[in-house]
Amino acid sequence: MPLALSARGRWARAGVTVAVGGLLLAGTFVGVDDDFPFGPMRQFSTRADPDGQARSTRVEAVDTGGRVLVVPDTATGLRRAEIEGQADRFVADPSLLAQVSRAHDRLRPDEPAYRTVRVVVALTRLRDSRPVGDPVDTVVASWTAP
Amino acid sequence: MTWLLSPLPTARIAWLRILAYAFVPVDLLLNRWMFAHAQVPGELYAPLRIGRAFALPTPGAWVTWFGWALIAGSLTCLALARRERVPAWAGFGVALGWLWWQVIAFSYGKVDHDRLGFLVLLLVLPTVGRASRRDVGASEAAGWAVRATALAVVATYTLSGLAKLRFGGLGWIDGATIVQAVIRRGTPLATPLLDHPWTLTAFQPVLLAVELFVAPLLLVRWRRPGVLTGLVVGFLLFHVMTFSMLSIIFLPHCVALLALLPFERLPFRGHQVRARMAA
Repeated sequence: MPLALSARGRWARAGVTVAVGGLLLAGTFVGVDDDFPFGPMRQFSTRADPDGQARSTRVEAVDTGGRVLVVPDTATGLRRAEIEGQADRFVADPSLLAQVSRAHDRLRPDEPAYRTVRVVVALTRLRDSRPVGDPVDTVVASWTAP
Repeated sequence: MTWLLSPLPTARIAWLRILAYAFVPVDLLLNRWMFAHAQVPGELYAPLRIGRAFALPTPGAWVTWFGWALIAGSLTCLALARRERVPAWAGFGVALGWLWWQVIAFSYGKVDHDRLGFLVLLLVLPTVGRASRRDVGASEAAGWAVRATALAVVATYTLSGLAKLRFGGLGWIDGATIVQAVIRRGTPLATPLLDHPWTLTAFQPVLLAVELFVAPLLLVRWRRPGVLTGLVVGFLLFHVMTFSMLSIIFLPHCVALLALLPFERLPFRGHQVRARMAA
C-alpha cells in the first residue's frame, strides 16, 4: 500500500503547485528579470534583425604599463552580460567604471592596476543573417584614473 | 490532482537527495564568478526585488564565508542522505541558502534562467520525510516531489518558448537570434556555420516547437518507461550540443531533468541482502 498524505498535506501541495505556477505564468507575460525567480525565461528571446546589426560588448582596460587589455570576466568579478545589463548606468555615469578597476585591484593585486576602463560595443552588420565586413567598435563609456 | 499526487517509489527521493546535495558544491565551485562578487564594490550591486523585499545585506567579503558555509551545509546533508536521514530543517536550510546565493549572483545586472528546476528540487526534497534507497514502497509525498520538479523542468522549456513569443513575436523564428549568439560567443565548432546562416536560422522554429510542444511530453505517464528515458536523454543531448556550440550549459536544469529518471531501479546492496534473506 502506498503511503497516503493527509487531506491537509494534499491541499497544501496542490495549493503551492497552483500558486507557484500562477506566479510563473504571470512573470512570463508581464514580469521582468527583477522578479527572479518568477521572471520571464527571456534568454535568447528577442528577435535579432537579419538585416540589422549584431552587438557584442566587451570591457577594455589600459593598465599602468600602458598595455591595452580585453578584460576577462574573472579579472573583475563582473561577467560580460552583467556589464551589458548595467550598461545604461555606465553610460550615464562613467565614473562608476572606477569601481570595476577597484574590483580588479582586489581580485588581482599582483597585476598592474587599470588606469583606464572602457566599455566597447562592437557592431557587426548583417545582411540576410550573414555577417558583412568587420565589426565596428564604439566606446560607449570610459573612465580614466585622475 | 490524481496525477500530481499519484504515488512514486520513496527510494527515488533517497537517490535524488544524494544527487542534489552532491551537486550544490559542484555548482558553486564551477561558478567562481559568484564568489568573485564578494570583491565587487557595493556601488555595482543592483539588488533584485526579492533582495529588496527581504532587505538582504549588500554583498561584501562575507559572501565568501557564506559560499563555503553553504558548501559545508550541503556536504553535511549529503553525508546524512547517505545514512538516509536528512532533517527537514537542514534540507530547507540548504534550499533557502542556495536561493539566497542565486539572488546575490544575479544582483549585478544579469539573471540566468537555468535555475528553476533545481531550486524546486531542493525545496521539495525535505517535504518527503524519511526515504531509503532500500525502500520498496511508494508514497504520495514522493510522487508530488518528483511531479513538482518535473513541472518546473517542463515550465523552464515552455515558458522560454512563451517568452520568445512575448519579446520576439512570431517573427522570432526567422530572425537572426542564433546567428547573433554565435557571433557573440560561438565556439570553433559553431562559427563556420556563419557562412551558411540558414542552418542556424532553420534551427529556430525547431527549437520553439520543441520547447512548446515536445517538452510537455516529459509529464506523460508512458506505459513503456523507456520512452521517458529516451526523452530525457534527448533533452540532455540538446544541452550538450548548446554547450559545444555556444559554451553555455544549463547545468542545474540538467540535474533537475535527471530527477525524472527511475533511479530507484539502480542496483543497491540492500536489495540483494533482502532478496537473500527472503530466499
